[in-house]
Amino acid sequence: MKEKHITEILDNAAIASLSEVELKEIRVHTKDCVSCRDAFEAAQLAAVILKSRAQVTIEPTPFFQTRVMAALREQQAVESVPAMWRLWKSAKVLVSSMAVTTAALAALSFVLPATSTPVDQPVSAYSAESVIIGQGSDELTYEQVMSTIYADDDEAGK
Amino acid sequence: MDLARQAQDGDESAFAEIVRRYSPRVFSVASRFFRQRSLVEEAAQEIFLKAYTQLGSFEGRGSLEGWLTRIATNTCLNMVRSSKRRPELTVSDLTDDEEGWLNQQSAGDGREQASVENSLVAADLADRLLAVLPPEDQQALLMIDGEDASIKEVAEATGWSESKVKVRAFRARKKLREAMEKLLDHRGKKLEQVSK
Repeated sequence: MKEKHITEILDNAAIASLSEVELKEIRVHTKDCVSCRDAFEAAQLAAVILKSRAQVTIEPTPFFQTRVMAALREQQAVESVPAMWRLWKSAKVLVSSMAVTTAALAALSFVLPATSTPVDQPVSAYSAESVIIGQGSDELTYEQVMSTIYADDDEAGK
Repeated sequence: MDLARQAQDGDESAFAEIVRRYSPRVFSVASRFFRQRSLVEEAAQEIFLKAYTQLGSFEGRGSLEGWLTRIATNTCLNMVRSSKRRPELTVSDLTDDEEGWLNQQSAGDGREQASVENSLVAADLADRLLAVLPPEDQQALLMIDGEDASIKEVAEATGWSESKVKVRAFRARKKLREAMEKLLDHRGKKLEQVSK
Protein backbone atom coordinates (compact mmCIF):
# COMPACT_ATOMS: atom_id res chain seq x y z
CA MET A 1 0.00 0.00 0.00
CA LYS A 2 1.74 3.10 -1.26
CA GLU A 3 -0.72 5.77 -0.08
CA LYS A 4 -1.90 6.55 3.38
CA HIS A 5 -5.10 4.89 4.51
CA ILE A 6 -8.11 7.15 4.12
CA THR A 7 -9.90 6.45 7.40
CA GLU A 8 -8.69 9.73 8.85
CA ILE A 9 -10.34 11.63 6.01
CA LEU A 10 -13.55 9.71 6.70
CA ASP A 11 -13.50 10.51 10.41
CA ASN A 12 -12.42 14.14 10.12
CA ALA A 13 -15.54 15.49 8.45
CA ALA A 14 -18.99 14.54 7.26
CA ILE A 15 -18.89 12.70 3.94
CA ALA A 16 -21.25 15.28 2.45
CA SER A 17 -18.73 18.03 3.17
CA LEU A 18 -15.68 16.32 1.63
CA SER A 19 -13.99 18.15 -1.22
CA GLU A 20 -13.61 16.75 -4.72
CA VAL A 21 -9.88 16.25 -4.08
CA GLU A 22 -10.58 14.22 -0.94
CA LEU A 23 -13.26 12.13 -2.69
CA LYS A 24 -10.88 11.41 -5.55
CA GLU A 25 -8.19 10.35 -3.08
CA ILE A 26 -10.70 8.00 -1.42
CA ARG A 27 -11.81 6.52 -4.74
CA VAL A 28 -8.26 5.87 -5.88
CA HIS A 29 -7.19 4.38 -2.58
CA THR A 30 -10.22 2.09 -2.10
CA LYS A 31 -9.62 0.45 -5.49
CA ASP A 32 -6.74 -1.49 -3.97
CA CYS A 33 -7.33 -1.34 -0.21
CA VAL A 34 -10.07 -3.68 0.97
CA SER A 35 -10.10 -2.49 4.58
CA CYS A 36 -10.52 1.14 3.50
CA ARG A 37 -13.22 0.11 1.03
CA ASP A 38 -15.16 -1.48 3.91
CA ALA A 39 -14.54 1.61 6.04
CA PHE A 40 -15.84 3.86 3.24
CA GLU A 41 -18.96 1.75 2.78
CA ALA A 42 -19.60 1.87 6.54
CA ALA A 43 -19.04 5.64 6.62
CA GLN A 44 -21.51 6.13 3.77
CA LEU A 45 -24.15 4.05 5.53
CA ALA A 46 -23.50 5.88 8.80
CA ALA A 47 -24.06 9.18 6.98
CA VAL A 48 -27.35 7.90 5.53
CA ILE A 49 -28.71 6.80 8.91
CA LEU A 50 -27.66 10.09 10.52
CA LYS A 51 -29.52 12.05 7.84
CA SER A 52 -32.59 9.89 8.38
CA ARG A 53 -32.38 10.38 12.13
CA ALA A 54 -32.07 14.14 11.78
CA GLN A 55 -35.25 14.24 9.71
CA VAL A 56 -37.29 12.74 12.55
CA THR A 57 -38.75 15.71 14.41
CA ILE A 58 -41.85 15.95 16.54
CA GLU A 59 -44.04 19.02 16.09
CA PRO A 60 -45.68 20.77 19.05
CA THR A 61 -49.43 20.27 19.45
CA PRO A 62 -51.75 23.33 19.53
CA PHE A 63 -52.27 22.71 23.26
CA PHE A 64 -48.62 22.85 24.16
CA GLN A 65 -48.62 26.58 24.89
CA THR A 66 -51.60 26.15 27.27
CA ARG A 67 -49.84 23.27 28.98
CA VAL A 68 -46.68 25.30 29.58
CA MET A 69 -48.58 28.30 30.88
CA ALA A 70 -50.58 26.08 33.26
CA ALA A 71 -47.35 24.49 34.53
CA LEU A 72 -45.85 27.95 34.97
CA ARG A 73 -48.84 29.17 37.06
CA GLU A 74 -48.66 26.00 39.14
CA GLN A 75 -44.98 26.59 39.74
CA GLN A 76 -45.61 30.21 40.71
CA ALA A 77 -48.38 29.14 43.11
CA VAL A 78 -46.01 26.71 44.81
CA GLU A 79 -43.32 29.37 45.07
CA SER A 80 -45.71 31.94 46.58
CA VAL A 81 -46.48 29.72 49.60
CA PRO A 82 -44.05 30.50 52.49
CA ALA A 83 -41.26 27.99 52.91
CA MET A 84 -42.16 27.17 56.55
CA TRP A 85 -45.75 26.41 55.58
CA ARG A 86 -44.56 24.13 52.76
CA LEU A 87 -42.23 22.41 55.22
CA TRP A 88 -45.07 21.95 57.68
CA LYS A 89 -47.37 20.61 54.95
CA SER A 90 -44.89 17.99 53.91
CA ALA A 91 -43.82 17.03 57.44
CA LYS A 92 -47.04 17.32 59.39
CA VAL A 93 -47.88 13.61 59.25
CA LEU A 94 -44.45 12.69 60.57
CA VAL A 95 -44.50 15.37 63.29
CA SER A 96 -48.05 14.39 64.38
CA SER A 97 -47.19 10.71 64.66
CA MET A 98 -44.07 11.56 66.67
CA ALA A 99 -46.15 13.73 69.05
CA VAL A 100 -48.68 10.93 69.55
CA THR A 101 -45.93 8.41 70.28
CA THR A 102 -44.29 10.75 72.80
CA ALA A 103 -47.63 11.34 74.56
CA ALA A 104 -48.30 7.61 74.73
CA LEU A 105 -44.86 6.95 76.22
CA ALA A 106 -45.38 9.72 78.80
CA ALA A 107 -48.73 8.24 79.79
CA LEU A 108 -47.18 4.79 80.21
CA SER A 109 -44.35 6.19 82.33
CA PHE A 110 -46.15 8.59 84.67
CA VAL A 111 -49.90 8.11 84.65
CA LEU A 112 -50.38 4.34 84.83
CA PRO A 113 -50.03 2.77 88.38
CA ALA A 114 -46.60 1.33 89.18
CA THR A 115 -46.50 -2.43 88.95
CA SER A 116 -42.93 -2.96 90.03
CA THR A 117 -41.75 -4.41 93.40
CA PRO A 118 -42.04 -1.97 96.35
CA VAL A 119 -38.74 -0.61 97.55
CA ASP A 120 -39.10 -1.68 101.19
CA GLN A 121 -39.78 -5.34 100.34
CA PRO A 122 -36.80 -7.60 101.16
CA VAL A 123 -34.72 -8.95 98.34
CA SER A 124 -35.67 -12.48 99.14
CA ALA A 125 -39.40 -12.80 98.47
CA TYR A 126 -39.72 -16.24 99.96
CA SER A 127 -41.11 -16.64 103.45
CA ALA A 128 -40.17 -19.56 105.67
CA GLU A 129 -43.74 -20.80 105.49
CA SER A 130 -43.91 -20.79 101.74
CA VAL A 131 -40.65 -22.68 101.56
CA ILE A 132 -41.75 -25.23 104.13
CA ILE A 133 -45.19 -25.78 102.58
CA GLY A 134 -43.39 -26.14 99.27
CA GLN A 135 -45.10 -23.34 97.31
CA GLY A 136 -43.12 -22.68 94.23
CA SER A 137 -40.51 -25.21 95.36
CA ASP A 138 -40.05 -26.41 91.82
CA GLU A 139 -38.46 -23.12 90.92
CA LEU A 140 -36.14 -22.74 93.96
CA THR A 141 -32.56 -23.81 94.19
CA TYR A 142 -31.03 -25.38 97.27
CA GLU A 143 -29.11 -22.19 98.08
CA GLN A 144 -32.27 -20.08 97.93
CA VAL A 145 -34.07 -22.39 100.36
CA MET A 146 -31.16 -22.35 102.78
CA SER A 147 -30.69 -18.58 102.63
CA THR A 148 -34.41 -18.02 103.29
CA ILE A 149 -34.38 -20.31 106.36
CA TYR A 150 -31.24 -18.78 107.82
CA ALA A 151 -32.48 -15.25 107.16
CA ASP A 152 -35.59 -16.00 109.21
CA ASP A 153 -33.41 -17.49 111.97
CA ASP A 154 -31.27 -14.36 111.98
CA GLU A 155 -34.35 -12.18 112.33
CA ALA A 156 -35.62 -14.33 115.21
CA GLY A 157 -32.21 -14.10 116.92
CA LYS A 158 -32.39 -10.30 116.74
CA MET B 1 -35.76 41.55 22.62
CA ASP B 2 -39.08 43.36 23.23
CA LEU B 3 -40.86 40.13 23.98
CA ALA B 4 -38.06 39.04 26.28
CA ARG B 5 -38.10 42.39 28.10
CA GLN B 6 -41.86 42.30 28.53
CA ALA B 7 -41.66 38.75 29.85
CA GLN B 8 -38.86 39.81 32.21
CA ASP B 9 -41.21 42.50 33.54
CA GLY B 10 -43.73 39.80 34.41
CA ASP B 11 -45.96 40.03 31.32
CA GLU B 12 -47.35 36.52 31.04
CA SER B 13 -48.85 37.04 27.60
CA ALA B 14 -45.41 37.99 26.30
CA PHE B 15 -44.00 34.74 27.65
CA ALA B 16 -46.93 32.83 26.15
CA GLU B 17 -46.00 34.38 22.80
CA ILE B 18 -42.38 33.27 23.27
CA VAL B 19 -43.61 29.72 23.90
CA ARG B 20 -45.81 29.80 20.81
CA ARG B 21 -43.15 31.29 18.57
CA TYR B 22 -40.19 29.13 19.65
CA SER B 23 -41.91 25.80 20.36
CA PRO B 24 -41.01 24.36 16.95
CA ARG B 25 -37.33 25.16 17.54
CA VAL B 26 -37.35 23.72 21.06
CA PHE B 27 -39.19 20.61 19.86
CA SER B 28 -36.67 20.19 17.08
CA VAL B 29 -33.80 20.23 19.61
CA ALA B 30 -35.61 17.86 21.98
CA SER B 31 -36.42 15.51 19.07
CA ARG B 32 -32.71 15.05 18.57
CA PHE B 33 -32.53 13.48 22.01
CA PHE B 34 -35.87 11.68 22.29
CA ARG B 35 -38.12 9.78 19.90
CA GLN B 36 -41.26 9.46 22.03
CA ARG B 37 -43.68 12.39 21.85
CA SER B 38 -44.35 12.29 25.60
CA LEU B 39 -40.63 12.64 26.36
CA VAL B 40 -40.16 15.43 23.83
CA GLU B 41 -43.12 17.35 25.30
CA GLU B 42 -41.88 16.80 28.84
CA ALA B 43 -38.43 18.07 27.88
CA ALA B 44 -39.86 21.06 26.01
CA GLN B 45 -41.99 22.06 29.00
CA GLU B 46 -38.98 21.77 31.30
CA ILE B 47 -36.99 23.94 28.88
CA PHE B 48 -39.58 26.73 28.85
CA LEU B 49 -39.99 26.66 32.64
CA LYS B 50 -36.24 26.92 33.01
CA ALA B 51 -36.13 29.72 30.45
CA TYR B 52 -38.77 31.63 32.41
CA THR B 53 -36.77 31.46 35.62
CA GLN B 54 -33.57 32.45 33.78
CA LEU B 55 -35.09 35.29 31.74
CA GLY B 56 -33.17 37.77 33.87
CA SER B 57 -29.88 36.39 32.53
CA PHE B 58 -30.86 37.09 28.90
CA GLU B 59 -29.11 40.30 28.05
CA GLY B 60 -30.17 40.51 24.43
CA ARG B 61 -26.65 40.25 23.00
CA GLY B 62 -27.53 37.21 20.90
CA SER B 63 -30.89 36.10 19.56
CA LEU B 64 -33.62 34.81 21.86
CA GLU B 65 -33.78 31.69 19.68
CA GLY B 66 -30.07 31.03 20.18
CA TRP B 67 -30.40 31.54 23.93
CA LEU B 68 -33.36 29.13 24.06
CA THR B 69 -31.52 26.59 21.90
CA ARG B 70 -28.64 26.54 24.37
CA ILE B 71 -31.00 26.05 27.32
CA ALA B 72 -32.79 23.34 25.36
CA THR B 73 -29.59 21.50 24.50
CA ASN B 74 -28.23 21.60 28.03
CA THR B 75 -31.55 20.62 29.62
CA CYS B 76 -31.92 17.65 27.28
CA LEU B 77 -28.30 16.62 27.83
CA ASN B 78 -28.91 16.58 31.60
CA MET B 79 -32.05 14.51 31.12
CA VAL B 80 -30.27 12.00 28.87
CA ARG B 81 -27.18 11.77 31.09
CA SER B 82 -29.28 10.26 33.86
CA SER B 83 -30.34 7.36 31.63
CA LYS B 84 -28.09 4.34 31.15
CA ARG B 85 -26.08 3.81 28.00
CA ARG B 86 -26.98 0.74 26.03
CA PRO B 87 -24.47 -2.01 25.22
CA GLU B 88 -23.00 -2.23 21.74
CA LEU B 89 -25.39 -3.40 19.04
CA THR B 90 -24.57 -6.72 17.40
CA VAL B 91 -25.92 -8.20 14.20
CA SER B 92 -28.10 -10.60 16.20
CA ASP B 93 -29.84 -7.60 17.79
CA LEU B 94 -30.92 -6.23 14.42
CA THR B 95 -34.60 -6.34 13.60
CA ASP B 96 -35.67 -7.93 10.32
CA ASP B 97 -36.43 -4.47 8.95
CA GLU B 98 -32.98 -3.18 9.90
CA GLU B 99 -31.26 -6.18 8.39
CA GLY B 100 -33.36 -5.78 5.26
CA TRP B 101 -32.44 -2.11 5.07
CA LEU B 102 -28.73 -2.90 5.39
CA ASN B 103 -28.98 -5.55 2.66
CA GLN B 104 -30.77 -3.09 0.40
CA GLN B 105 -28.18 -0.41 0.97
CA SER B 106 -25.27 -2.78 0.39
CA ALA B 107 -26.88 -4.01 -2.82
CA GLY B 108 -26.95 -0.37 -3.94
CA ASP B 109 -30.73 -0.01 -4.31
CA GLY B 110 -31.13 2.23 -1.25
CA ARG B 111 -31.93 5.32 -3.29
CA GLU B 112 -34.77 3.68 -5.16
CA GLN B 113 -36.26 2.47 -1.91
CA ALA B 114 -36.00 5.77 -0.03
CA SER B 115 -39.54 5.60 1.37
CA VAL B 116 -40.76 7.12 4.63
CA GLU B 117 -40.83 3.63 6.12
CA ASN B 118 -37.23 3.03 5.13
CA SER B 119 -36.20 6.37 6.61
CA LEU B 120 -37.76 5.39 9.93
CA VAL B 121 -35.93 2.06 9.91
CA ALA B 122 -32.69 3.92 9.24
CA ALA B 123 -33.48 6.40 12.02
CA ASP B 124 -34.14 3.52 14.43
CA LEU B 125 -30.85 1.96 13.48
CA ALA B 126 -29.10 5.30 14.02
CA ASP B 127 -30.63 5.58 17.49
CA ARG B 128 -29.48 2.11 18.40
CA LEU B 129 -25.95 2.65 17.11
CA LEU B 130 -25.66 6.10 18.66
CA ALA B 131 -26.90 4.85 22.03
CA VAL B 132 -23.45 3.50 22.89
CA LEU B 133 -21.87 6.96 22.56
CA PRO B 134 -21.86 9.66 25.24
CA PRO B 135 -24.84 12.00 24.71
CA GLU B 136 -22.56 14.96 24.00
CA ASP B 137 -20.81 13.06 21.19
CA GLN B 138 -24.17 11.98 19.76
CA GLN B 139 -25.32 15.59 19.63
CA ALA B 140 -22.22 16.87 17.94
CA LEU B 141 -22.43 14.18 15.27
CA LEU B 142 -26.18 14.48 14.70
CA MET B 143 -25.95 18.23 14.27
CA ILE B 144 -22.91 18.22 11.97
CA ASP B 145 -23.46 15.09 9.87
CA GLY B 146 -27.25 14.88 10.19
CA GLU B 147 -28.31 18.52 10.04
CA ASP B 148 -25.29 19.97 8.19
CA ALA B 149 -24.60 22.39 11.04
CA SER B 150 -21.18 24.03 11.13
CA ILE B 151 -18.71 23.56 13.98
CA LYS B 152 -19.42 27.16 15.01
CA GLU B 153 -23.18 26.61 15.11
CA VAL B 154 -22.76 23.54 17.32
CA ALA B 155 -20.43 25.49 19.60
CA GLU B 156 -23.02 28.25 19.93
CA ALA B 157 -25.88 25.84 20.59
CA THR B 158 -24.01 23.89 23.24
CA GLY B 159 -21.69 26.45 24.79
CA TRP B 160 -18.65 24.24 24.05
CA SER B 161 -15.49 25.52 22.42
CA GLU B 162 -15.06 24.85 18.69
CA SER B 163 -12.12 22.52 19.33
CA LYS B 164 -14.23 20.53 21.78
CA VAL B 165 -16.96 20.19 19.15
CA LYS B 166 -14.40 18.98 16.58
CA VAL B 167 -12.98 16.39 18.96
CA ARG B 168 -16.41 15.11 19.95
CA ALA B 169 -17.59 14.88 16.34
CA PHE B 170 -14.38 13.13 15.22
CA ARG B 171 -14.59 10.60 18.05
CA ALA B 172 -18.29 9.93 17.47
CA ARG B 173 -17.92 9.61 13.69
CA LYS B 174 -15.07 7.14 14.10
CA LYS B 175 -16.98 5.04 16.61
CA LEU B 176 -20.13 5.02 14.52
CA ARG B 177 -18.21 4.04 11.40
CA GLU B 178 -16.45 1.23 13.25
CA ALA B 179 -19.72 -0.01 14.73
CA MET B 180 -21.30 0.01 11.28
CA GLU B 181 -18.27 -1.78 9.82
CA LYS B 182 -18.60 -4.46 12.47
CA LEU B 183 -22.29 -4.89 11.70
CA LEU B 184 -21.59 -5.20 7.99
CA ASP B 185 -18.79 -7.67 8.62
CA HIS B 186 -20.95 -9.87 10.88
CA ARG B 187 -23.82 -9.67 8.42
CA GLY B 188 -21.49 -10.73 5.58
CA LYS B 189 -20.32 -13.74 7.58
CA LYS B 190 -23.89 -14.63 8.44
CA LEU B 191 -24.92 -14.47 4.78
CA GLU B 192 -21.96 -16.70 3.87
CA GLN B 193 -23.06 -19.29 6.44
CA VAL B 194 -26.61 -19.24 5.12
CA SER B 195 -25.44 -19.73 1.51
CA LYS B 196 -23.35 -22.76 2.55
